[in-house]
Amino acid sequence: MNSLTLLRAHTRVAFLDLLRWPGYVVPTVAFPAMFFALFDLPFARRSAAVADFTTLAFIVFSIVGVALYQFGVAIAQERGRPWERYLRTLAVSTTVRFSSRIVTAVLFGTMTALVVALVARAFTPLDLSFAQWLCVLLYALAGGVPFVLIGISIGYWTSPRAAVPFATAVNLLLAYAGGLWMPPSDLPEFVQRISPYLPTRQFADLLWSVLGNPGGGRAAAGLAIYAVAFAVIAAIGYRRDERTRYA
Amino acid sequence: MMESTILTCENVTKSYGDVCALQSLSFAVGRDEIVALLGPNGAGKTTALEIVLGLRSADSGRVKLFGSSPRNVAVRRRLGATPQESSFPEMLRVDEIVTFAAAHYTHPADVGETLQRFGLAEMSKRRAGTLSGGESRRLALALAFVGDPELIVLDEPTSGLDVESRRRLWELVRDLGGGRSILFTTHYLEEAQALATRILVVDGGRLLFDGAPQLLRERVGGRRVQYIGSNGPVSIATADADAYVRSMVRDGVAFSDLEIARPSLEEAFLTLTGGPR
Repeated sequence: MNSLTLLRAHTRVAFLDLLRWPGYVVPTVAFPAMFFALFDLPFARRSAAVADFTTLAFIVFSIVGVALYQFGVAIAQERGRPWERYLRTLAVSTTVRFSSRIVTAVLFGTMTALVVALVARAFTPLDLSFAQWLCVLLYALAGGVPFVLIGISIGYWTSPRAAVPFATAVNLLLAYAGGLWMPPSDLPEFVQRISPYLPTRQFADLLWSVLGNPGGGRAAAGLAIYAVAFAVIAAIGYRRDERTRYA
Repeated sequence: MMESTILTCENVTKSYGDVCALQSLSFAVGRDEIVALLGPNGAGKTTALEIVLGLRSADSGRVKLFGSSPRNVAVRRRLGATPQESSFPEMLRVDEIVTFAAAHYTHPADVGETLQRFGLAEMSKRRAGTLSGGESRRLALALAFVGDPELIVLDEPTSGLDVESRRRLWELVRDLGGGRSILFTTHYLEEAQALATRILVVDGGRLLFDGAPQLLRERVGGRRVQYIGSNGPVSIATADADAYVRSMVRDGVAFSDLEIARPSLEEAFLTLTGGPR
Protein backbone atom coordinates (compact mmCIF):
# COMPACT_ATOMS: atom_id res chain seq x y z
CA MET A 1 0.00 0.00 0.00
CA ASN A 2 1.40 3.39 -0.68
CA SER A 3 2.60 5.39 2.27
CA LEU A 4 0.24 8.28 1.67
CA THR A 5 -2.86 6.07 1.92
CA LEU A 6 -1.50 4.58 5.12
CA LEU A 7 -0.54 7.98 6.51
CA ARG A 8 -4.10 9.12 5.93
CA ALA A 9 -5.59 6.01 7.54
CA HIS A 10 -3.37 6.28 10.63
CA THR A 11 -3.87 10.02 11.00
CA ARG A 12 -7.63 9.63 10.65
CA VAL A 13 -7.74 7.03 13.41
CA ALA A 14 -5.49 9.03 15.76
CA PHE A 15 -7.32 12.29 15.08
CA LEU A 16 -10.86 10.91 15.45
CA ASP A 17 -10.00 8.96 18.57
CA LEU A 18 -8.80 12.19 20.22
CA LEU A 19 -11.42 14.50 18.73
CA ARG A 20 -14.22 12.39 20.23
CA TRP A 21 -12.82 12.73 23.76
CA PRO A 22 -14.26 15.96 25.13
CA GLY A 23 -11.92 15.42 28.08
CA TYR A 24 -8.99 15.80 25.72
CA VAL A 25 -10.27 18.34 23.23
CA VAL A 26 -11.71 20.91 25.62
CA PRO A 27 -8.66 21.33 27.87
CA THR A 28 -6.21 21.12 24.96
CA VAL A 29 -7.93 23.60 22.72
CA ALA A 30 -9.44 25.91 25.31
CA PHE A 31 -6.85 26.19 28.09
CA PRO A 32 -4.29 28.37 26.30
CA ALA A 33 -7.03 30.76 25.18
CA MET A 34 -8.50 30.74 28.68
CA PHE A 35 -5.12 31.48 30.30
CA PHE A 36 -4.64 34.23 27.77
CA ALA A 37 -8.01 35.75 28.62
CA LEU A 38 -7.37 35.50 32.37
CA PHE A 39 -3.78 36.71 32.60
CA ASP A 40 -2.99 38.87 29.63
CA LEU A 41 -6.14 40.26 28.12
CA PRO A 42 -6.25 43.30 30.45
CA PHE A 43 -2.73 44.29 29.32
CA ALA A 44 -3.12 43.24 25.73
CA ARG A 45 -6.09 45.54 25.24
CA ARG A 46 -3.92 48.59 25.89
CA SER A 47 -1.86 48.65 22.73
CA ALA A 48 -1.23 46.78 19.50
CA ALA A 49 2.39 46.17 20.51
CA VAL A 50 1.42 44.40 23.74
CA ALA A 51 -1.36 42.53 21.98
CA ASP A 52 0.99 41.20 19.31
CA PHE A 53 3.63 40.26 21.88
CA THR A 54 1.32 38.38 24.25
CA THR A 55 -0.65 36.68 21.49
CA LEU A 56 2.52 35.21 20.03
CA ALA A 57 3.60 34.08 23.50
CA PHE A 58 0.33 32.23 23.92
CA ILE A 59 0.62 30.68 20.48
CA VAL A 60 3.92 29.25 21.69
CA PHE A 61 2.18 28.02 24.86
CA SER A 62 -0.51 26.30 22.73
CA ILE A 63 2.00 24.49 20.56
CA VAL A 64 4.24 23.41 23.42
CA GLY A 65 1.25 21.97 25.29
CA VAL A 66 0.00 19.99 22.32
CA ALA A 67 3.48 18.66 21.53
CA LEU A 68 4.16 17.55 25.10
CA TYR A 69 0.77 15.88 25.51
CA GLN A 70 0.32 14.47 22.05
CA PHE A 71 3.73 12.88 22.10
CA GLY A 72 4.72 12.57 25.74
CA VAL A 73 1.51 11.41 27.33
CA ALA A 74 0.09 9.56 24.32
CA ILE A 75 3.25 7.55 23.66
CA ALA A 76 3.74 6.71 27.34
CA GLN A 77 0.18 5.44 27.60
CA GLU A 78 -0.02 3.66 24.27
CA ARG A 79 3.28 1.89 23.96
CA GLY A 80 2.33 -0.91 26.36
CA ARG A 81 -1.15 -1.54 24.97
CA PRO A 82 -2.12 -4.68 23.07
CA TRP A 83 -3.44 -2.46 20.26
CA GLU A 84 0.11 -1.26 19.75
CA ARG A 85 1.24 -4.86 19.36
CA TYR A 86 -1.45 -5.41 16.77
CA LEU A 87 -0.34 -2.34 14.81
CA ARG A 88 3.14 -3.84 14.69
CA THR A 89 1.79 -6.87 12.86
CA LEU A 90 0.43 -4.63 10.09
CA ALA A 91 2.39 -3.69 6.99
CA VAL A 92 3.17 -0.14 8.05
CA SER A 93 6.55 1.45 8.70
CA THR A 94 7.61 3.27 11.84
CA THR A 95 8.14 6.38 9.71
CA VAL A 96 4.50 6.43 8.60
CA ARG A 97 3.33 5.87 12.16
CA PHE A 98 5.45 8.70 13.55
CA SER A 99 4.41 10.94 10.67
CA SER A 100 0.76 10.35 11.48
CA ARG A 101 1.45 11.46 15.06
CA ILE A 102 3.14 14.58 13.78
CA VAL A 103 0.27 15.43 11.42
CA THR A 104 -2.25 14.90 14.23
CA ALA A 105 -0.22 17.14 16.53
CA VAL A 106 0.04 19.83 13.86
CA LEU A 107 -3.74 19.70 13.40
CA PHE A 108 -4.44 20.08 17.11
CA GLY A 109 -1.65 22.63 17.53
CA THR A 110 -3.11 24.73 14.74
CA MET A 111 -6.60 24.50 16.19
CA THR A 112 -5.37 25.53 19.63
CA ALA A 113 -3.25 28.41 18.35
CA LEU A 114 -6.10 29.53 16.13
CA VAL A 115 -8.46 29.82 19.11
CA VAL A 116 -5.89 32.03 20.88
CA ALA A 117 -5.49 34.15 17.75
CA LEU A 118 -9.27 34.52 17.35
CA VAL A 119 -9.73 35.57 20.98
CA ALA A 120 -6.90 38.08 20.59
CA ARG A 121 -8.37 39.39 17.38
CA ALA A 122 -11.79 39.82 18.92
CA PHE A 123 -10.72 41.56 22.14
CA THR A 124 -7.39 43.27 21.49
CA PRO A 125 -5.97 45.72 18.96
CA LEU A 126 -3.90 42.88 17.49
CA ASP A 127 -2.03 44.17 14.46
CA LEU A 128 -0.07 41.68 12.38
CA SER A 129 0.29 41.81 8.61
CA PHE A 130 -0.39 38.84 6.38
CA ALA A 131 3.35 38.46 5.75
CA GLN A 132 3.93 38.42 9.49
CA TRP A 133 1.32 35.72 9.97
CA LEU A 134 3.00 33.62 7.30
CA CYS A 135 6.28 34.04 9.15
CA VAL A 136 4.58 33.09 12.43
CA LEU A 137 3.21 29.95 10.82
CA LEU A 138 6.61 28.94 9.46
CA TYR A 139 8.46 29.67 12.70
CA ALA A 140 5.76 27.95 14.74
CA LEU A 141 6.13 24.77 12.72
CA ALA A 142 9.93 24.82 12.90
CA GLY A 143 10.06 25.88 16.54
CA GLY A 144 7.67 23.08 17.47
CA VAL A 145 10.16 20.42 16.39
CA PRO A 146 12.29 20.35 19.58
CA PHE A 147 9.09 20.14 21.64
CA VAL A 148 7.89 17.19 19.64
CA LEU A 149 11.22 15.53 20.44
CA ILE A 150 10.98 16.48 24.13
CA GLY A 151 7.50 14.96 24.06
CA ILE A 152 8.75 11.74 22.50
CA SER A 153 11.50 11.58 25.13
CA ILE A 154 8.93 11.94 27.91
CA GLY A 155 6.83 9.27 26.20
CA TYR A 156 9.59 6.71 26.23
CA TRP A 157 11.21 7.60 29.54
CA THR A 158 8.18 7.91 31.81
CA SER A 159 5.63 5.32 32.87
CA PRO A 160 1.98 5.64 31.79
CA ARG A 161 1.04 6.87 35.27
CA ALA A 162 3.87 9.35 35.60
CA ALA A 163 3.48 10.82 32.12
CA VAL A 164 0.54 13.17 32.81
CA PRO A 165 1.86 14.83 35.98
CA PHE A 166 5.36 14.95 34.54
CA ALA A 167 4.33 16.49 31.23
CA THR A 168 2.07 18.96 33.06
CA ALA A 169 4.87 20.03 35.40
CA VAL A 170 7.33 20.44 32.54
CA ASN A 171 4.75 22.35 30.50
CA LEU A 172 3.76 24.78 33.25
CA LEU A 173 7.28 25.37 34.58
CA LEU A 174 8.71 25.96 31.13
CA ALA A 175 5.83 28.22 30.19
CA TYR A 176 6.22 30.32 33.31
CA ALA A 177 10.01 30.58 33.31
CA GLY A 178 10.10 30.99 29.55
CA GLY A 179 8.08 34.19 29.89
CA LEU A 180 5.02 32.95 28.03
CA TRP A 181 2.51 34.19 30.61
CA MET A 182 4.11 37.51 31.47
CA PRO A 183 6.79 39.60 29.86
CA PRO A 184 10.23 38.12 30.70
CA SER A 185 11.23 41.42 32.27
CA ASP A 186 8.50 40.94 34.92
CA LEU A 187 9.85 37.57 36.02
CA PRO A 188 11.76 37.29 39.32
CA GLU A 189 15.42 38.10 38.83
CA PHE A 190 16.65 34.56 39.37
CA VAL A 191 14.20 33.25 36.76
CA GLN A 192 15.18 36.03 34.37
CA ARG A 193 18.73 34.77 34.45
CA ILE A 194 17.92 31.20 33.37
CA SER A 195 15.02 32.12 31.09
CA PRO A 196 17.06 32.75 27.91
CA TYR A 197 18.39 29.20 28.08
CA LEU A 198 14.98 27.57 28.19
CA PRO A 199 13.49 26.22 24.97
CA THR A 200 10.13 27.90 25.60
CA ARG A 201 11.80 31.29 25.87
CA GLN A 202 13.80 30.61 22.72
CA PHE A 203 10.64 29.57 20.90
CA ALA A 204 8.97 32.81 22.03
CA ASP A 205 12.03 34.87 21.03
CA LEU A 206 11.83 33.26 17.60
CA LEU A 207 8.20 34.32 17.15
CA TRP A 208 8.82 37.75 18.69
CA SER A 209 11.49 38.33 16.07
CA VAL A 210 8.60 38.62 13.63
CA LEU A 211 7.72 41.84 15.51
CA GLY A 212 11.22 43.17 14.94
CA ASN A 213 12.60 42.06 18.30
CA PRO A 214 16.27 41.06 18.34
CA GLY A 215 17.49 37.58 19.34
CA GLY A 216 15.78 35.50 16.66
CA GLY A 217 19.00 33.97 15.37
CA ARG A 218 20.30 33.12 18.82
CA ALA A 219 16.92 31.56 19.68
CA ALA A 220 16.91 29.46 16.51
CA ALA A 221 20.39 28.16 17.32
CA GLY A 222 19.33 27.29 20.87
CA LEU A 223 16.26 25.44 19.60
CA ALA A 224 18.42 23.51 17.14
CA ILE A 225 20.68 22.38 19.99
CA TYR A 226 17.65 21.27 22.00
CA ALA A 227 16.33 19.43 18.95
CA VAL A 228 19.56 17.49 18.49
CA ALA A 229 19.89 16.68 22.20
CA PHE A 230 16.33 15.43 22.52
CA ALA A 231 16.48 13.56 19.23
CA VAL A 232 19.26 11.51 20.81
CA ILE A 233 17.40 11.04 24.11
CA ALA A 234 14.21 10.09 22.27
CA ALA A 235 16.04 7.62 20.04
CA ILE A 236 17.71 5.93 23.02
CA GLY A 237 14.36 5.73 24.79
CA TYR A 238 12.70 4.27 21.72
CA ARG A 239 15.38 1.58 21.30
CA ARG A 240 15.23 0.74 24.97
CA ASP A 241 11.47 0.22 24.76
CA GLU A 242 11.88 -1.88 21.59
CA ARG A 243 14.44 -4.08 23.28
CA THR A 244 12.44 -4.72 26.41
CA ARG A 245 9.06 -5.15 24.73
CA TYR A 246 9.82 -6.78 21.43
CA ALA A 247 13.13 -8.59 21.96
CA MET B 1 5.25 -16.03 -6.21
CA MET B 2 3.09 -19.04 -5.37
CA GLU B 3 5.65 -20.83 -3.23
CA SER B 4 4.22 -23.88 -1.53
CA THR B 5 5.77 -23.17 1.85
CA ILE B 6 4.52 -20.07 3.53
CA LEU B 7 6.25 -20.26 6.85
CA THR B 8 9.26 -22.19 8.10
CA CYS B 9 10.74 -22.25 11.57
CA GLU B 10 14.03 -24.05 12.00
CA ASN B 11 15.49 -24.85 15.41
CA VAL B 12 13.90 -21.80 16.96
CA THR B 13 14.98 -21.28 20.55
CA LYS B 14 13.81 -18.54 22.87
CA SER B 15 14.41 -17.89 26.56
CA TYR B 16 13.19 -15.18 28.89
CA GLY B 17 16.00 -14.93 31.42
CA ASP B 18 16.27 -18.39 32.91
CA VAL B 19 12.95 -19.57 31.53
CA CYS B 20 13.21 -21.44 28.28
CA ALA B 21 10.05 -20.78 26.25
CA LEU B 22 10.99 -22.62 23.05
CA GLN B 23 13.57 -25.33 22.59
CA SER B 24 14.75 -25.94 19.08
CA LEU B 25 11.26 -25.77 17.59
CA SER B 26 11.02 -26.65 13.91
CA PHE B 27 7.89 -26.68 11.78
CA ALA B 28 6.53 -25.41 8.51
CA VAL B 29 3.16 -24.20 7.26
CA GLY B 30 2.30 -24.88 3.64
CA ARG B 31 -0.26 -23.31 1.35
CA ASP B 32 -3.88 -24.33 2.02
CA GLU B 33 -2.97 -25.82 5.37
CA ILE B 34 -4.83 -25.20 8.59
CA VAL B 35 -2.31 -25.83 11.31
CA ALA B 36 -3.19 -26.04 14.99
CA LEU B 37 -0.56 -25.31 17.59
CA LEU B 38 -1.90 -27.36 20.46
CA GLY B 39 -0.62 -27.27 24.00
CA PRO B 40 -1.48 -26.35 27.58
CA ASN B 41 -1.00 -22.84 28.98
CA GLY B 42 2.65 -21.97 29.19
CA ALA B 43 3.64 -24.47 26.49
CA GLY B 44 5.26 -21.78 24.37
CA LYS B 45 2.45 -21.38 21.82
CA THR B 46 2.12 -17.65 22.20
CA THR B 47 5.88 -17.13 22.05
CA ALA B 48 5.97 -19.16 18.83
CA LEU B 49 3.23 -16.98 17.32
CA GLU B 50 4.93 -13.78 18.45
CA ILE B 51 8.10 -14.84 16.68
CA VAL B 52 6.16 -15.71 13.53
CA LEU B 53 4.46 -12.28 13.66
CA GLY B 54 7.77 -10.47 14.14
CA LEU B 55 6.78 -9.24 17.60
CA ARG B 56 9.71 -11.09 19.11
CA SER B 57 12.97 -12.33 17.74
CA ALA B 58 14.33 -15.82 18.31
CA ASP B 59 17.54 -16.26 20.33
CA SER B 60 18.71 -18.72 17.70
CA GLY B 61 17.28 -20.54 14.72
CA ARG B 62 15.73 -19.32 11.49
CA VAL B 63 12.23 -18.03 10.78
CA LYS B 64 11.16 -17.38 7.20
CA LEU B 65 7.78 -15.88 6.39
CA PHE B 66 7.15 -15.87 2.63
CA GLY B 67 10.90 -16.36 2.27
CA SER B 68 11.76 -13.30 4.29
CA SER B 69 12.16 -12.12 7.87
CA PRO B 70 8.85 -11.61 9.71
CA ARG B 71 10.13 -8.15 10.63
CA ASN B 72 10.09 -7.14 6.98
CA VAL B 73 7.19 -4.70 6.57
CA ALA B 74 6.33 -5.87 3.05
CA VAL B 75 5.67 -9.52 3.97
CA ARG B 76 3.16 -8.45 6.58
CA ARG B 77 0.89 -7.34 3.77
CA ARG B 78 0.33 -11.06 3.22
CA LEU B 79 -0.38 -11.71 6.90
CA GLY B 80 -3.46 -11.23 9.04
CA ALA B 81 -3.43 -11.30 12.83
CA THR B 82 -5.76 -10.50 15.72
CA PRO B 83 -5.06 -8.04 18.50
CA GLN B 84 -4.23 -10.23 21.48
CA GLU B 85 -6.79 -8.67 23.79
CA SER B 86 -9.54 -6.30 22.91
CA SER B 87 -8.07 -2.85 23.34
CA PHE B 88 -9.30 -0.94 20.33
CA PRO B 89 -9.20 2.85 20.20
CA GLU B 90 -12.32 3.34 22.32
CA MET B 91 -13.83 6.25 20.46
CA LEU B 92 -13.66 4.66 17.01
CA ARG B 93 -16.63 2.89 15.49
CA VAL B 94 -16.51 -0.79 14.59
CA ASP B 95 -16.66 -0.11 10.84
CA GLU B 96 -13.93 2.53 11.12
CA ILE B 97 -11.58 0.04 12.76
CA VAL B 98 -12.26 -2.63 10.13
CA THR B 99 -11.78 -0.08 7.33
CA PHE B 100 -8.52 1.02 8.97
CA ALA B 101 -7.17 -2.55 9.03
CA ALA B 102 -8.28 -3.12 5.42
CA ALA B 103 -6.26 -0.07 4.31
CA HIS B 104 -3.05 -2.03 4.93
CA TYR B 105 -3.77 -4.67 2.29
CA THR B 106 -3.53 -4.74 -1.47
CA HIS B 107 -6.74 -6.69 -2.15
CA PRO B 108 -8.81 -6.53 1.00
CA ALA B 109 -12.21 -8.14 1.39
CA ASP B 110 -15.29 -5.92 1.34
CA VAL B 111 -15.68 -4.23 4.73
CA GLY B 112 -19.47 -4.56 4.79
CA GLU B 113 -19.28 -8.23 3.93
CA THR B 114 -16.66 -8.84 6.60
CA LEU B 115 -18.82 -7.13 9.22
CA GLN B 116 -21.69 -9.38 8.14
CA ARG B 117 -19.60 -12.54 8.32
CA PHE B 118 -18.49 -11.80 11.87
CA GLY B 119 -21.92 -10.79 13.09
CA LEU B 120 -20.90 -7.15 13.47
CA ALA B 121 -23.22 -5.57 10.91
CA GLU B 122 -25.83 -4.38 13.44
CA MET B 123 -23.17 -2.82 15.65
CA SER B 124 -21.01 -1.34 12.90
CA LYS B 125 -21.72 2.24 14.06
CA ARG B 126 -21.08 1.53 17.71
CA ARG B 127 -17.92 2.71 19.39
CA ALA B 128 -15.38 0.05 20.14
CA GLY B 129 -15.32 1.04 23.81
CA THR B 130 -18.97 -0.05 24.21
CA LEU B 131 -18.55 -3.60 22.90
CA SER B 132 -19.00 -6.64 25.13
CA GLY B 133 -16.22 -9.19 25.51
CA GLY B 134 -17.62 -11.50 22.84
CA GLU B 135 -18.27 -8.64 20.41
CA SER B 136 -14.72 -7.34 20.83
CA ARG B 137 -13.44 -10.81 20.22
CA ARG B 138 -15.39 -10.99 16.93
CA LEU B 139 -14.07 -7.59 15.89
CA ALA B 140 -10.53 -8.78 16.61
CA LEU B 141 -11.11 -11.82 14.39
CA ALA B 142 -12.61 -9.67 11.63
CA LEU B 143 -9.37 -7.68 11.55
CA ALA B 144 -7.38 -10.82 10.82
CA PHE B 145 -9.67 -11.77 7.92
CA VAL B 146 -10.51 -8.39 6.33
CA GLY B 147 -7.24 -8.09 4.42
CA ASP B 148 -7.89 -11.47 2.78
CA PRO B 149 -4.23 -12.33 3.42
CA GLU B 150 -2.46 -15.56 2.50
CA LEU B 151 -1.64 -16.45 6.09
CA ILE B 152 -3.94 -15.83 9.02
CA VAL B 153 -2.50 -16.22 12.50
CA LEU B 154 -4.95 -16.60 15.37
CA ASP B 155 -4.11 -16.84 19.05
CA GLU B 156 -6.77 -18.81 20.93
CA PRO B 157 -9.43 -17.73 18.40
CA THR B 158 -12.43 -19.24 20.15
CA SER B 159 -11.68 -18.21 23.72
CA GLY B 160 -14.40 -15.85 24.86
CA LEU B 161 -16.79 -16.76 22.04
CA ASP B 162 -20.28 -18.12 22.59
CA VAL B 163 -21.29 -21.41 20.98
CA GLU B 164 -22.92 -19.76 17.96
CA SER B 165 -19.92 -17.50 17.20
CA ARG B 166 -17.57 -20.40 17.67
CA ARG B 167 -19.50 -22.50 15.16
CA ARG B 168 -19.50 -19.61 12.69
CA LEU B 169 -15.76 -19.10 13.06
CA TRP B 170 -15.15 -22.79 12.49
CA GLU B 171 -17.16 -22.54 9.26
CA LEU B 172 -15.19 -19.50 8.13
CA VAL B 173 -11.92 -21.25 8.78
CA ARG B 174 -13.00 -24.40 6.95
CA ASP B 175 -14.35 -22.47 3.95
CA LEU B 176 -11.31 -20.26 3.57
CA GLY B 177 -9.49 -22.17 0.81
CA GLY B 178 -8.10 -20.42 -2.25
CA GLY B 179 -4.47 -20.96 -1.36
CA ARG B 180 -4.86 -19.47 2.08
CA SER B 181 -3.39 -20.88 5.25
CA ILE B 182 -4.19 -20.57 8.92
CA LEU B 183 -2.00 -21.05 11.93
CA PHE B 184 -3.88 -21.01 15.23
CA THR B 185 -3.21 -21.89 18.83
CA THR B 186 -5.62 -23.73 21.05
CA HIS B 187 -5.60 -25.78 24.19
CA TYR B 188 -8.62 -27.82 23.16
CA LEU B 189 -7.85 -31.15 21.58
CA GLU B 190 -11.37 -31.24 20.07
CA GLU B 191 -10.93 -27.89 18.40
CA ALA B 192 -7.62 -28.87 16.89
CA GLN B 193 -9.08 -32.13 15.61
CA ALA B 194 -12.22 -30.50 14.24
CA LEU B 195 -10.48 -27.74 12.31
CA ALA B 196 -6.87 -28.48 11.53
CA THR B 197 -5.43 -30.32 8.58
CA ARG B 198 -2.30 -30.71 10.66
CA ILE B 199 -1.64 -30.56 14.37
CA LEU B 200 1.52 -29.53 16.14
CA VAL B 201 1.59 -30.50 19.79
CA VAL B 202 3.91 -28.43 21.95
CA ASP B 203 4.67 -28.62 25.61
CA GLY B 204 7.53 -27.15 27.58
CA GLY B 205 8.68 -25.37 24.43
CA ARG B 206 9.26 -28.62 22.55
CA LEU B 207 7.45 -30.10 19.61
CA LEU B 208 5.97 -33.43 20.69
CA PHE B 209 3.94 -34.26 17.63
CA ASP B 210 3.59 -32.99 14.07
CA GLY B 211 1.10 -34.73 11.82
CA ALA B 212 -2.44 -35.19 10.60
CA PRO B 213 -5.29 -35.24 13.11
CA GLN B 214 -6.03 -38.93 12.35
CA LEU B 215 -2.48 -39.77 13.28
CA LEU B 216 -2.81 -37.98 16.58
CA ARG B 217 -6.10 -39.76 17.19
CA GLU B 218 -4.44 -43.08 16.59
CA ARG B 219 -1.66 -42.20 18.96
CA VAL B 220 -3.81 -40.90 21.79
CA GLY B 221 -7.17 -42.17 20.65
CA GLY B 222 -8.08 -44.42 23.55
CA ARG B 223 -11.00 -43.85 25.88
CA ARG B 224 -11.37 -43.73 29.59
CA VAL B 225 -14.12 -45.95 30.93
CA GLN B 226 -15.43 -45.05 34.39
CA TYR B 227 -18.15 -46.63 36.49
CA ILE B 228 -19.12 -47.45 40.04
CA GLY B 229 -18.34 -51.10 40.55
CA SER B 230 -19.10 -53.35 43.48
CA ASN B 231 -15.89 -52.22 45.19
CA GLY B 232 -16.31 -48.50 44.46
CA PRO B 233 -15.34 -46.23 41.55
CA VAL B 234 -13.31 -47.75 38.70
CA SER B 235 -11.45 -45.84 36.00
CA ILE B 236 -9.72 -47.67 33.17
CA ALA B 237 -7.93 -46.45 30.05
CA THR B 238 -8.57 -48.60 27.02
CA ALA B 239 -7.83 -48.51 23.30
CA ASP B 240 -11.24 -49.92 22.40
CA ALA B 241 -14.03 -48.77 24.73
CA ASP B 242 -16.72 -50.63 22.77
CA ALA B 243 -14.99 -53.99 23.19
CA TYR B 244 -14.32 -53.26 26.83
CA VAL B 245 -17.96 -52.48 27.64
CA ARG B 246 -19.10 -55.53 25.68
CA SER B 247 -16.80 -57.71 27.75
CA MET B 248 -18.07 -56.13 30.96
CA VAL B 249 -21.64 -57.00 30.04
CA ARG B 250 -20.70 -60.50 28.88
CA ASP B 251 -18.79 -61.21 32.10
CA GLY B 252 -21.63 -59.89 34.25
CA VAL B 253 -19.55 -57.17 35.93
CA ALA B 254 -21.73 -55.11 38.23
CA PHE B 255 -21.65 -51.43 37.27
CA SER B 256 -23.60 -48.20 37.50
CA ASP B 257 -23.03 -44.61 36.35
CA LEU B 258 -21.10 -45.77 33.30
CA GLU B 259 -19.16 -43.02 31.56
CA ILE B 260 -16.91 -43.15 28.52
CA ALA B 261 -14.71 -40.12 28.00
CA ARG B 262 -12.13 -39.05 25.50
CA PRO B 263 -8.75 -38.70 27.13
CA SER B 264 -8.07 -35.20 28.29
CA LEU B 265 -5.32 -33.18 26.71
CA GLU B 266 -3.20 -33.93 29.75
CA GLU B 267 -3.62 -37.65 29.18
CA ALA B 268 -2.82 -37.17 25.51
CA PHE B 269 0.41 -35.47 26.54
CA LEU B 270 1.25 -38.30 28.85
CA THR B 271 0.83 -40.67 25.93
CA LEU B 272 2.96 -38.48 23.67
CA THR B 273 5.72 -37.94 26.17
CA GLY B 274 5.59 -41.58 27.17
CA GLY B 275 4.63 -41.19 30.79
CA PRO B 276 4.33 -38.69 33.62
CA ARG B 277 7.01 -36.09 33.58
